[in-house]
Amino acid sequence: MQKTASSNRKPDPALLYKVFGGVLFLYLFLGFMVVPCINTLTSVFTAKDASGNTDPFAVIRFFLAGSMPSFVWNSLKLAVCLVVTVNIVGISIVLLTEYFDIKGAKILRMGYMTTLIYSGVALVTGYQFLYDSNGMLTKWFTDILPGFNKQWFTGFNAVLFTMTFACTSNHALFLRNAIRGIDYNTVEAARNMGAKPFKVLLKVVMPTLLPTLFSLTVMTFITGLCAMSAPTLLGYNSINPEIVRLAGSTTADESFPQARAALLSVILAMFTIVLLTVLNHYERKGHYLSVSKTKAKLVKQKIQNPAANILAHIYAYILFIIYMTPVVMIIVFSFQNWSAVRTKSLDFSGWTLSNYFGVENYQYTRSNGKISTRVGAISGVFANEKTVGGIRLSFLLSAVAAALACVIVVIAVNYIFKHRNKKRAVLIEGCLLFPWLLPTILICYSFRIFFNNEVWYVFGQNLYYKENVRILIILAYTVVKLPFALRMIKAAFYAIDDELEDAARNLGASGLVTFLRIKLPIVLPSVLAVFALNFNALFTEYDMGATFQKSEGTTYAMVIQSMCNEEGRDGMNMNASGRRCASTVFIMIVSGLILYLVYGVGSRDLGERLAIRERRSKKLQQIRKSLGFKTAVAEETQE
Amino acid sequence: MIRLSDIVVKFGDLEALHNINVDVREGEFFTFLGPSGCGKTTTLRTITGFIEPVSGTVSMQGRDITHVPIEKRNIGIVFQSYALFPTMTVHDNIAFGLKIKKMKKDEIEQKVQEIARKVDLKERHLKRAVSQLSGGQQQRVAIARALVTEPAVICMDEPLSNLDAKLRVQLRNELKKMQKDFGITTIYVTHDQEEALTLSDRIAVFNKGYIEQIGTPNEIYNHSATEFVANFIGDINPLTDEAILKKLGLNTQEHHFIRLERVRVNDSTQDEQICQLPGAIESREYYGLYIKYYIRLENQVIKVIEKNDGIRIYEAGEKVTVGIHPADVMTYPGEG
Repeated sequence: MQKTASSNRKPDPALLYKVFGGVLFLYLFLGFMVVPCINTLTSVFTAKDASGNTDPFAVIRFFLAGSMPSFVWNSLKLAVCLVVTVNIVGISIVLLTEYFDIKGAKILRMGYMTTLIYSGVALVTGYQFLYDSNGMLTKWFTDILPGFNKQWFTGFNAVLFTMTFACTSNHALFLRNAIRGIDYNTVEAARNMGAKPFKVLLKVVMPTLLPTLFSLTVMTFITGLCAMSAPTLLGYNSINPEIVRLAGSTTADESFPQARAALLSVILAMFTIVLLTVLNHYERKGHYLSVSKTKAKLVKQKIQNPAANILAHIYAYILFIIYMTPVVMIIVFSFQNWSAVRTKSLDFSGWTLSNYFGVENYQYTRSNGKISTRVGAISGVFANEKTVGGIRLSFLLSAVAAALACVIVVIAVNYIFKHRNKKRAVLIEGCLLFPWLLPTILICYSFRIFFNNEVWYVFGQNLYYKENVRILIILAYTVVKLPFALRMIKAAFYAIDDELEDAARNLGASGLVTFLRIKLPIVLPSVLAVFALNFNALFTEYDMGATFQKSEGTTYAMVIQSMCNEEGRDGMNMNASGRRCASTVFIMIVSGLILYLVYGVGSRDLGERLAIRERRSKKLQQIRKSLGFKTAVAEETQE
Repeated sequence: MIRLSDIVVKFGDLEALHNINVDVREGEFFTFLGPSGCGKTTTLRTITGFIEPVSGTVSMQGRDITHVPIEKRNIGIVFQSYALFPTMTVHDNIAFGLKIKKMKKDEIEQKVQEIARKVDLKERHLKRAVSQLSGGQQQRVAIARALVTEPAVICMDEPLSNLDAKLRVQLRNELKKMQKDFGITTIYVTHDQEEALTLSDRIAVFNKGYIEQIGTPNEIYNHSATEFVANFIGDINPLTDEAILKKLGLNTQEHHFIRLERVRVNDSTQDEQICQLPGAIESREYYGLYIKYYIRLENQVIKVIEKNDGIRIYEAGEKVTVGIHPADVMTYPGEG
């Protein structure tokens, strides 16, 4: 019997994979990026008035008539001022350590780079600890200058001061690379033609840094606009803290809280999109590339004028002190007992590890003269249930989200590279970069509002309900980290020579084997670096945790923030500030370790690793030999 | 051994190869030579299976392999960049193809050791990462990896192009010796004419997707079939002065060329056929082994190579006589 054509047709597995992959990608993109954000956008125009009728412009009218524009204005003011101050400090620290010959530049650089391991909520609370009205440094200032305003570290001033020094990390990384890329021959040529050092700096060096500076300026502006932890903790009414406040409010308290929060986040998104479009357009115009074939390494310039040289050194070391003081003080106070920390004065007999480990009781004398004991009122970071809970939850959420982002991006980038120059590859890349256009707060707010209902495509679950919020945080973390992962992992894929794939195919490897055994091991160090950097950023992340504000989703940063308020309440948590200092030190260690693993160990290739192993084994043999052990000395001769 | 019949390859609307016909013999060192973009690598990739032709057939040992997948063609490849897997040791690079074939561990070990010995890689090299090896050692690993699976043919795509000049010459000799020792049919791609002439049994000269000439190095150099081949291989003087052409009894409508070493300076040979032309040394370039002179004749400058014997070196401005034998002149049809 002859078979029909249809019965002969077997499903092509490759086609099935493609269809499945396409549907899954669409589900993830539409379900977790587009739909929640569109819901936020439409909520602005679907608010109902007092009579229950939909009034598309009610929120906008309310917005314009009330005090809400002040939040936008405050954010803009902060962003503009921050661009000025961050650029001044950022350019200064780079020039002082990389361009001018300043004594002790290596130590200065280390100080200026502390923001890489000490940032976010930990930095803000650290600054608050030192500079608020009864802060240690404020006390010193008032002792030296009796008329000094003790309340100087509040509101706009405090936010601007803190963020100025917190936001120079990008300058320390990218502007430093740019200045190191300058061909020194161009400086020598200018000098040879009679230009004075300052003229060379202004006319030769600075113009080559302009593209990098422009990118940094835009990024700083966006950071200022979207600032969250500093305004929240230091009391400044900008957009993000207001969105979070409104998100937690109800119509019983005020008019259209959710719709107003949505409108603010949409305004923020509009600013971000415009700025990133400008940045993208500018970056496409290209950077100044050295045309030199034999580029000379930049030689540090000695400041010839003695007075200017002294002033530059003073300026460099003042900046160093500003950067280092909070770090040193936080470390020192993390080893001080609770009373020293509370009074913010060093007690040289009060050293303790109780802020890190163990639980102690607090004894005090009551008004009737009796001595009372609060059991467990003093506890260390690793003994306090709430803190350990925060660490555990942040560790878990960050690790899962960072891993998810890497897995999604690796699979997507492999597909993008396989289908280079095809529209679908461009489309997938665009989809993964989509969250980059939106402020984090918009994404998180949208998630919080949209998934605080039973949503059919997440199996009818309310993802904001109780423990489900952890899944929602993981999803938000993943979405937010996709663009960064894409940019980094895509760059790593460029390093794969096409001929490697050809060679593997020629030797009989299938597509999957080629991916798993050839391509993945090559990009793995970069993927692990992305995982580590994303994990590092998420582990102490505050903005998203604050937006979700849920007891089941209290992350480590939220725990640190709450320590500020709960110190000594009901005679408990006597060492909350000390524990906060210890937490900050713990974060610094984790961040430092991750950066070392990524940029130190992780950047070594197989050859370097084998060479280190060989050196170690030789050293070990020498030690064994010197100790009198019999060893088989390698007879290898180096070529 | 390998036969390409009427191969046409297109990239979109662009026809990259036009009716290519090549017959590579068993055990032969066959070179595809030509300038960048002439189609030599495209032809090689058609043989290896990375490119499928629009029309024509690729056959190996009489079997049509035009549509056979890459891994089933039994062709080894040494890539331009060597394409050594950077995350694997030398041993694992060589063993990769054998592992994919799911060979037994001890058999793999034996084959790796054997091939390593043959290509002169020491035991200690096998444990290293490829980045720890020199350029020459990397090339040996690439050859070992390509040969260990015992292919019928080995294809090499400009494997010496990334090396410095001295190492290139050294490895060229090693490559030739290795090919003779293994006796394997080799197809080699290069744009370097010197490399092609020294290594090859036969050469196919490519130009704009066509093959201009297939022949031995001697045929290609001394009996260039086309004006392109004559110009592309070695240095050559176009004879453009009609007066000289008439003296030599050559058709002025055709294009005439003479190789530099065939032009004689102050030659005392008594041969009536040699046309003696008066000239003066305009400049000279010193190459050590030989000296290149630029001699001004009445209406053109001619380049000449003279062996550097250390005794007779002409100075700029010196009067000389230039001798050209008509039999040394290569003639090609003129345009139209």
